[in-house]
Amino acid sequence: MKNELSVMMFSWEFPPRVIGGISPHVYFLSKSLAKNGVKVHVVTCDFPGAPAHEVIDGVNVYRIDSYKNPAPDFATWVYLMNLNMQREAAAIVNKLGGKIDVFHAHDWLVATAGIGLKHVFRKPLLVTMHSTEIGRRDGLHTDTEKMIHETEAWLTYEAWKVICCSDYMVSHVKWAFGLPEDKLVMIPNGVNTHVYESSEKEACESFRTKFALPEEKFVLYVGRLVYEKGIHVLINAVPKVLEKVNAKFIIIGSGYMKEQLLNIVRSMRLEHKVLFMGFVDDETLLKLQKCADVSVVPSLFEPFGIVALEAMAAKSPVVVSDTGGLSEIVDHDTTGFKAYPNNPDSLAWGITKILLDENYRNYIRENAYRKVQEKYDWEKIAQQTKAIYKAVLGEYSKSFWA
Amino acid sequence: MRVIILSWEFPPRVVGKLAEYINALSTQLVKNKVETYVVTYHDFLTGTVEEASGVKTVRVANPVRTHIGVLTWDLTLNQEVERAAANIYYQANKQIDLINVYEWHFIPAAVTLKNALNVPFVYSVESLEDHRSPNSNTPYNMSIKSIEWLGFYEAARVSVKSDWMRDEIVRIYNVPKEKVKVVSPSTPSWIKDVLELYNSVAGGLDSE
Repeated sequence: MKNELSVMMFSWEFPPRVIGGISPHVYFLSKSLAKNGVKVHVVTCDFPGAPAHEVIDGVNVYRIDSYKNPAPDFATWVYLMNLNMQREAAAIVNKLGGKIDVFHAHDWLVATAGIGLKHVFRKPLLVTMHSTEIGRRDGLHTDTEKMIHETEAWLTYEAWKVICCSDYMVSHVKWAFGLPEDKLVMIPNGVNTHVYESSEKEACESFRTKFALPEEKFVLYVGRLVYEKGIHVLINAVPKVLEKVNAKFIIIGSGYMKEQLLNIVRSMRLEHKVLFMGFVDDETLLKLQKCADVSVVPSLFEPFGIVALEAMAAKSPVVVSDTGGLSEIVDHDTTGFKAYPNNPDSLAWGITKILLDENYRNYIRENAYRKVQEKYDWEKIAQQTKAIYKAVLGEYSKSFWA
Repeated sequence: MRVIILSWEFPPRVVGKLAEYINALSTQLVKNKVETYVVTYHDFLTGTVEEASGVKTVRVANPVRTHIGVLTWDLTLNQEVERAAANIYYQANKQIDLINVYEWHFIPAAVTLKNALNVPFVYSVESLEDHRSPNSNTPYNMSIKSIEWLGFYEAARVSVKSDWMRDEIVRIYNVPKEKVKVVSPSTPSWIKDVLELYNSVAGGLDSE
């Protein structure tokens, strides 16, 4: 294509470097954009064994020397890493004859690289705010937190558009940085449904015998064992569910609340009903998600809620707490059950209803799967993202920078 | 010739001797028909001003007000320096002959501008971290030294004010001696030496 749209993305993580959710997000987004005819360059941090430059499904990935400068602390390292990212990206763009249409930064971790290059090359900058410091820390308590918050504010100020993955994050970011409404765009996070299509459903019968008795229903929790994820609410709901249904509760993940939770389970004499499995490999997780009779996401705070989406893609019915991004992903009684947050009775009600009512279960399962395909498909997300790039370029073409 | 000087001090913001020196240098450059811009830092006197001397100054502030150290302050301020320098570059129809960066603070900006826009830079050294903080090898000191190193590596030429400093740079950073020029303000040929140095760099040594 001649007038191919080209974007340079900045991300501090990209596979095989995986620290959090930004890495898979940028990976799938960039691949899907490339499939949609966008020329994508990803500039990211290096990783042992990963090449400095490679092409993955049409995406040009550049890994920069991110530990070149000694740094006294994490935040200073971030800015020093940005110095190197900016320097190497500047040379790449220069080598491409300046043929980059938009810069796209992911979070404050690449803020200064994005901002600097925007001005040096006079190209529009977009940012996706995956999270905020003020949200992560529930307030700003130290100079480091304030500095990061102000860097985020600066980044959103410099950005042409600010993309958030849920309506909840849109309103949060708008409040946190005082942004005008028309600067914010909601494009959801995606889930890769193909991964769940690949393994066969029949295998469930034998697979589940590893974890549950044949007569037991199979309830799944995936997440860190920390307060904000509300796992204690689920544990408190266990005896309430067992009054009505015979079930096994499989808990995947770890966290500081593990001992506490184990003690509660022991005191209830339900060790044989609740299985703490810690971390499991990707394949096991995938099978668990596919075979679960119900997946529970009882979070008290949740910016997006990717776990619920994964369950829906795996055709497992979901019970979620009605909060944050989860409120948007799930429509009550249609694509899942929404329980009152921090309420074990409400949670138990939802789990019991799904486990006992097969028609309801199948109805929710099908609706949820359809919603995931319609709204959270990377292909669609890439098209929406491309449309935003085009809209920004349209505005840009009338500016004196063009 | 059109030159952008990057300096973290310039009157009225005087921290050490550098402010006065940049003032004298830029004034002399204008007198010698060099179109001279100074991009510098000020907390509130921001914006572009043409001084009585004919020097055009752009003062930028740091958009991030809270910091945990000089390094984070410096590394965020550099984007504003880049913005100011890029504005000059585009307004001048991309005709900037060279950038002269003083001290380590704005080396990140000079390096980005060089790599992005092919504008070569001269790195002028007043002092080194090794001398300011002798025997200090904390990550903080090492970090500043690594920025100085980047400056020596990326610069087209290095300028110093004494033979001693040239030898120190050669000793500490293994910079080739030919790359370091001694331009002493105490000699009568001072401004002529500066212009000679600028002329040797203008247009880009690297592209030769």
